[in-house]
Amino acid sequence: MAAIPKEKPSRIDEARAQFARYKADVKARGKPFYPYAMFHDTIMSLVVVCVIIGLAAMWKWSAWGPGHDPTHKGLLGPEVDPPADPGTTSFVPRPDWYFYFLFYLLRIFKWPESVFLGTIGVPTIALILLIGLPFLDRRRERRLSARPVAMVAAVLTVLSMAVLTWKGATANEALASEVIADVPHWVQVENLPSNALPGAKLFATAGCTACHTYAGAGGSNLGAPDLTDIGTRNLGIDFQIRHLQCPSCVNPGSPMPHFASLGNERLHQLAVFLEASKGAH
Amino acid sequence: MATTYRRTPTKAELRRQRMEELVNYPLDWLEERSGLVGGVRYFLFRNVPSDVNWMQTLGSAALTAFLVQAITGVILAMYYTPSASTDPATGKPVAWESIVNITDHVTMGWLVRGMHKWGASVFIILMFLHMGRVFLFGAYKYPRELNWIVGVLILVMGMMEGFTGYLLPWDQTAYWASVVGINLNGTAPFLGPWLAQFLRGGQEIGGETLTRFYSLHMLVIPAAIIGLITLHLYLVIRLGVTSPPWSKEAAGMEPEEEEPVTARPGLTRPVPRTAGGTAMQAEPGGRD
Amino acid sequence: MVEPEHPSTDTEHESLHEEAHLPPPTLWPIGFAIGIVVVLVGLVINPELISSIGGAITVVFGFLWARDATAELRGEPIVVEPERRQMREAGHGMTAPPADQQGVALPHVPETGVTRSRFLEGATLGLGGVIGGLITVPVAGFAVLPGFLGQKQHKVDLGPVSKFPLSQWFVTTFIVDPIEGEVSRRTAFIRNNGTVSDPKTKKQVPSFTIISNHCAHLGCPVQANGPTGAILGQPTVIEHTKNGRVKLDPVVPAGYGCPCHGGQYDIEGNRTAGPPVRALDRYAFEIDNGNLILLSTYSVSHVVGTGAQAKIYKYKEAGPGEHLDGPEQWFYPLQPPHH
Repeated sequence: MAAIPKEKPSRIDEARAQFARYKADVKARGKPFYPYAMFHDTIMSLVVVCVIIGLAAMWKWSAWGPGHDPTHKGLLGPEVDPPADPGTTSFVPRPDWYFYFLFYLLRIFKWPESVFLGTIGVPTIALILLIGLPFLDRRRERRLSARPVAMVAAVLTVLSMAVLTWKGATANEALASEVIADVPHWVQVENLPSNALPGAKLFATAGCTACHTYAGAGGSNLGAPDLTDIGTRNLGIDFQIRHLQCPSCVNPGSPMPHFASLGNERLHQLAVFLEASKGAH
Repeated sequence: MATTYRRTPTKAELRRQRMEELVNYPLDWLEERSGLVGGVRYFLFRNVPSDVNWMQTLGSAALTAFLVQAITGVILAMYYTPSASTDPATGKPVAWESIVNITDHVTMGWLVRGMHKWGASVFIILMFLHMGRVFLFGAYKYPRELNWIVGVLILVMGMMEGFTGYLLPWDQTAYWASVVGINLNGTAPFLGPWLAQFLRGGQEIGGETLTRFYSLHMLVIPAAIIGLITLHLYLVIRLGVTSPPWSKEAAGMEPEEEEPVTARPGLTRPVPRTAGGTAMQAEPGGRD
Repeated sequence: MVEPEHPSTDTEHESLHEEAHLPPPTLWPIGFAIGIVVVLVGLVINPELISSIGGAITVVFGFLWARDATAELRGEPIVVEPERRQMREAGHGMTAPPADQQGVALPHVPETGVTRSRFLEGATLGLGGVIGGLITVPVAGFAVLPGFLGQKQHKVDLGPVSKFPLSQWFVTTFIVDPIEGEVSRRTAFIRNNGTVSDPKTKKQVPSFTIISNHCAHLGCPVQANGPTGAILGQPTVIEHTKNGRVKLDPVVPAGYGCPCHGGQYDIEGNRTAGPPVRALDRYAFEIDNGNLILLSTYSVSHVVGTGAQAKIYKYKEAGPGEHLDGPEQWFYPLQPPHH
C-alpha cells in the first residue's frame, strides 16, 4: 500500500478519498433528511397517489359502457376484454404498453434465422449491459458535459425505446377480419365498378394486404409493392390470373405465394378488381 | 438517548431535545428493548447533501407506488378467484367473472382494482425515470455499484410482476400475451423448452398456469421485491445520496488545490464506520 | 441429498494433510440420512411398514450419532477453544478485528485432530444442509415435476367424416378435453383429401390435412387468409360429439397469416414470409367408426406437394420458435416429455 507513489494515486484510492470527502461534506454542510428532503418526497408521493387514483377513476367512468358492458372501450381501454378463448380465430393479441418495445423487436426480426435474437438475444444483452454499467463506466467523472459517451448512449437508448414503443403501439395487422371494413372506402376512392366488388372483398380477406398495401390499408412490413394503382399498368385479366396462380412462373424469383387454391372463378374476380384499380382519387 | 453536540446547540435543536424528553414513555421502553427508535431517528435525521433536488424524489415515489400495489393487491386477493374453469351457470371463466364482479359489483372494487391496474404502469414508469436520474447523476459509480445492480433487479422483478399479473383477468389480451411471453422464454437455447413447460405447468396454458402465475405474482415475486427494496434502502442510507453533478456545492467535489489524499490514513477503507447497529447510533443528532 | 459429512473411510489419513476438516469420522450420519430417505420413500409407497422401518433406522442411527458426537463432551472436561483461523489483516477490504482482541496471541492449536469449534461448524453446516434438502427436494419436486409427468393424451371426436366434403377447407373449433372445458378449446384448419393408397398395405385409406392454428413463431392464433362462410354464403356447421360442441366454418384459404408479428403461411402451412421458423404444426388423426378423431400434434419443418400427395417432414412436437432443421436445431437438443 505504502509503495504507491504520492503523485500517482491509484484509481480506487482516488475514489475512496473522494467518497471520504463526500461523507465529510455531507456531515459538515448537509441538511437533515427529515424534514427537508422528505418534504419533497412526500409532495411527490402525494402526486403519484393522486395520479393513480385519477387514472383509475378516468378508466372506470369512461369505460362504463351501454348496458354496463364490461368490454366497452373507454378513454383508457375496457374494464376487461372478452374471456380468454384459446381457440379464437379473430383475436389480434397485443401486450401491455411497457412490453411494446419487446413486441416490436419481435416484428423487426422477421427472418426465421434471427428469431431468437429478438426473443432472447437482444433483451439478454441489454440486461447484461444494464447490470454491468457500473463496471463498464469506472471513471469518477459525474458531470454531464464530461461524459459524452454515456450521454449519447442514454439519448440513443431513450430514443430507440420510445420509437420501438411507439411503433409497437401503432403496429396493426392487415388481417381479413379487419381489412374487410375498408372495402366501401375503396369503392369510393378508387371509383370501383360494381363488378369489381366481389374481387375487392376477396382481396381484403385473402391475405393480400398482409404483404401489399392498397389505398392506405395493409402492411408494408414485408415489402411487397403497393397495388393502389396496379390497374394503370393494364397488365390484362389473363396475365393477372396467371400471375395469381403461380407468381414465380410469370415473374421469376417472385416470393409471392400461389393463390391457385382460390379457384379460377375467384381468381377472375380478383383480376377484375386489380385491373379496375386505377389509383385513389 | 444521550445526544452530544460538538458545539452549542441551536434553538431548533434545543426545542427538539425538549420534545424528545417529552416523548412518551412507550417510545423509551421500545428503544431500551429494541433500539428501533434510534434506528428510525438515524434514518430521519441523517444528513443528506444540501443541494438534493426534485429529481431525487423519484425513488421514494416509486416506493410509494409499490406500497399502493402491495396494499391494493392484498385486498384484491380477498375477492379474486384464480380459476380457469368455466362457470356452468354463465359459460364464462370463473377468474374472468370474479374480475368483472370486482370491477362492477363489489363496493369500491373498481377503485381498488383501478388503482392496482394503473398503479402497475405508474410503478414501472417511476422505476424507469428513477433509473434515468441515477444514470444522469452518475450515481451508480463507486461505491454505489451494488445498489445499481439491486435497482436493476428490482426493475426486472417489477416487469415480472407485470407479466404474471397480466394473465390474472383471464381475458383475451391476458391469455395471448402470456402465450407469447411464455413461448419467448421457450426459445431460449437448451433449457428454454423446459422453462416454458415449467411456467405453463404442463404442455398447454390452462388452470395450472393461472394458479402458478397467481402464486408467483402475489407471493414469490413480491417477497423478492420487498427484500431487494430493503437492501436498496439500506445501501442508500449507508452510502448517502449524491449531489447533482452540476451543483456548485456538490458534496465530495474535488478541492481547489491538490491534496495528498492517499497519504492520509483511514481513507483507504471505503466506509469508515462499521455496518449495522453501531452505524445507526453514530450520528443521531441531526445537523451537527 | 446433502450429506452432512464426508463419508469416506480414508478421512483419518486425509485429516493429517487437509487444512480444514470436519469432525471425527463416523458412519452414523449416513445411516441417519438413509433412515430419512426410507421414511420419505415409505410415505410414497407404504406409509405403515416402510416408513416405520425408516423411522426406526433414523432413531437408532440418530442416537448412535449423538452418542458418538458427544463422546468427547462426556469423556473429557469441556475445553472451550478459540477459533483456529487467523484473522485476515485489515486493509484488504475486510473489517478490522475489534481493537481489544487485536493484540491477543492466538493459542497454539495442534495441526492434526479436530477442534470442538470446527466440529460444531461442520455439524451446523451439515445439519443445516440436511434441513435445507429435506425442505427443498419435495417442494421443488412438487413445483416442477407435475408439469412434466403424466401428460394425458387426448382423442378429439370431430364427428362423422361425411361432414367434411372433399377438398373443402374448414376452420374447425373444438374442445380437446371436456373436463377442462373452454380452456382446452383449439382451432385447426381441416381439409378432406379423399383417399390415398397406403404404401404398405396397398389399401385405400382416407387422407386429411389437419393444420393447427398456433403460429410456429410464438404461438399466436393464426387466421385463414381467405373468404369464410359469411362471405361465401355457406352455412357454419355445428356438431355435437363426445367432445361437446364442434364448429365447422367453411373457408377458401389462400394461406394463413399471424396477427402478432406478421408471419405468413401457404395453405399447406409452409412459411412464406415473416419470422416463423418452420411450417405450422399438424394433428395426427384416425378414423374410428366413421368419425374423424384427432390425436396428438406433431411439428413439421416443411411440406412438399399438397393434399393427399403431400410429403410432410415430420418431427416430434416442439414449442413455437424452435427450429427443427438447420444449424439452429442444436439449440434445442432435448425436448420435455410430450404425450
